[in-house]
Amino acid sequence: MSYFAEAEPSDSFQPFSVFREYFGFVPNLFRLQTLLPRVIMAEAALSRALLFEQLCLPQTLKERLLLALASAHGNKYCVALGSQTLSLLGASECQLNLPSREALLVEFTVKLGTRGHLISREDIERITAGSWTYESLLEAVLLAGWGNFLRTLSIGLAAPSDFAAVPYAATTPLLNIASAEQESFGPYLSAREMPDDFAPFAFLRDNFGFVPNFFQAQTLCPAAVAAEVEALRLILFSDDVLKRKQKERILLAVSGASQNTYCVAVYAEILTLSGVAAEESYQIAADHRQVVLTELDTALLDFAVKLSARPQEFSGEDVESLRQQGVSDQQILEAIAVTALTQFLNTVQWGTGAVPDFAPRRSFRLNVGENANLSSLDSRPTTKEELADPDSELVQRAQSGELEAFEVLAERHSKRVYRTLVGLLGSPEEARDAMQDTFLKAFEHLAGFQGRSKFSTWLLTIASNTGLQRLRERRPMESLDGDGPDGEEGFRPRQVRAWTDDPEQLYSQAEVRALVENCLKKLPAKYRVVVLLRDFEQLSAEDAAIALGLGVPALKSRLLRGRLMLREALAPYFAKSPTGVSA
Amino acid sequence: MITCADFMAELGNYMDDTVADEVRMQLDNHLVHCPTCQVIVDSTRKTVRIVSDSGSFDLPDAVLKRITVGLMAKIRDERG
Repeated sequence: MSYFAEAEPSDSFQPFSVFREYFGFVPNLFRLQTLLPRVIMAEAALSRALLFEQLCLPQTLKERLLLALASAHGNKYCVALGSQTLSLLGASECQLNLPSREALLVEFTVKLGTRGHLISREDIERITAGSWTYESLLEAVLLAGWGNFLRTLSIGLAAPSDFAAVPYAATTPLLNIASAEQESFGPYLSAREMPDDFAPFAFLRDNFGFVPNFFQAQTLCPAAVAAEVEALRLILFSDDVLKRKQKERILLAVSGASQNTYCVAVYAEILTLSGVAAEESYQIAADHRQVVLTELDTALLDFAVKLSARPQEFSGEDVESLRQQGVSDQQILEAIAVTALTQFLNTVQWGTGAVPDFAPRRSFRLNVGENANLSSLDSRPTTKEELADPDSELVQRAQSGELEAFEVLAERHSKRVYRTLVGLLGSPEEARDAMQDTFLKAFEHLAGFQGRSKFSTWLLTIASNTGLQRLRERRPMESLDGDGPDGEEGFRPRQVRAWTDDPEQLYSQAEVRALVENCLKKLPAKYRVVVLLRDFEQLSAEDAAIALGLGVPALKSRLLRGRLMLREALAPYFAKSPTGVSA
Repeated sequence: MITCADFMAELGNYMDDTVADEVRMQLDNHLVHCPTCQVIVDSTRKTVRIVSDSGSFDLPDAVLKRITVGLMAKIRDERG
């Protein structure tokens, strides 16, 4: 019995005709998502590009790859669908007597689909040594990804089989696991130069500012790239059911749980463009429960991580639990689709060996137990002096439950927290409310504070994120980043008249204060928050960078840009007039 | 010979005094001959000073104290 009601498919719904054309019917997997037609449209686009269209591999082999992976996962729904499709194609479902060359591809697909993080160049060389072309290999990679997409969907939806249960034997691992000590990146496949007007790349440039290597690595199959970009657009880039930021957090948490360093790194960097601190993104990937989120957002991530990392434990209770928290069926369906899409992206990245576009700040390669490896790749020696924190004793007392100690900390830092929040939000009332939020979050998560940064930096991190989050909620359609790159590039000072020698003396203290407050409000949030932390709170560049999850060079670039913008805004008040008298 | 664009590219590091001696000499030399960059350096330094000393966004201690007391009351309530 599925967790979701099945709707009668409309004859005119185009994606269903795609499925009918191939399968002869609309599989339950897709019928169960009729509450979210755009997700089915994305899945139809992916099905067509990855499975239905004939490229290099024969259709029967493609279905065999999917069936072998479904068997290895013990996924009854996908086994039944694959077996039925193979028989429709007039092929036997038996995998035992495959020619050795085909068996090689089956083994590779199963390994990639079940233990993708262990794929290395050695596996790729075994396939190409079997006379498979890069194009064929890419098809197998894409099918492994698609198999994992379907598997996640079938578990999340509890899709009933379209056919009577088919007996199957779980496939045992066939390949010797070549577990590389170091994280393995490629690229394993050759790439093709794409024309400048290749629409999917133009879309990626518009939305991400660049074309991630993940897509560059698949240019041997442009149709797949186009379908994936379409799926991103339809599933991820929308705010009508789940908010885009909720879905992006699912992508990070699922990628982290799957140990996919590439996907975490690329998405964390992409999110910094919309003002999300990279440190927050990495923490969501490492352990979302250590991040200050609403109960509902935490529950959504618990749901997605369980579905992807512990599917054997997933049940109708997980769906019901979300419903009881007020999450609609549409939203749950979308969370399942985003989880499935992330599984697809992770699998394809492992198979293509797409090289990180940015130096990952953490490796998510599994080393111990179930948790991701949190070792910092860019860790630097930290001196005792750097670690000295005047709040450490109070923090320890507060962590052991002494409320009075927390009260002293709150009093000590309330001025800084308030300044940061009112500077970001503009409204004193909202800043007071956000300040209360900040301290409540800090109190709630105090046990998780491990002293890796100063307490004050940690607190200002929470305050900045709380303020930025409120700005995003207030103006979801408006970019917080403003236009243009960081730093001085693209920013040309226009006010070049000299300032008076002692500009502060031109106005009363209250007037200067009001001027600064008004001018600061005009800065885009990503520059405003940097100026607040550096020039108001006097955080070091390193601490401000930690608070915002930026690298120090990026922090410095934003700071300079922010200061130049402020200078521009203040210049009319402090510049000398052409006659030498202040304007 | 460095240009104004070169100078702007190094402005942040120049103000933080984190440029190499040789680069600083070149930047200083540019400044001597470029009144526009002189104005930008001087006014940006004054901007930082004005902003840092402005006391903007400060709330009176008594108001902050009231907020903190309210916050702690809420925490104590929630703890039961």
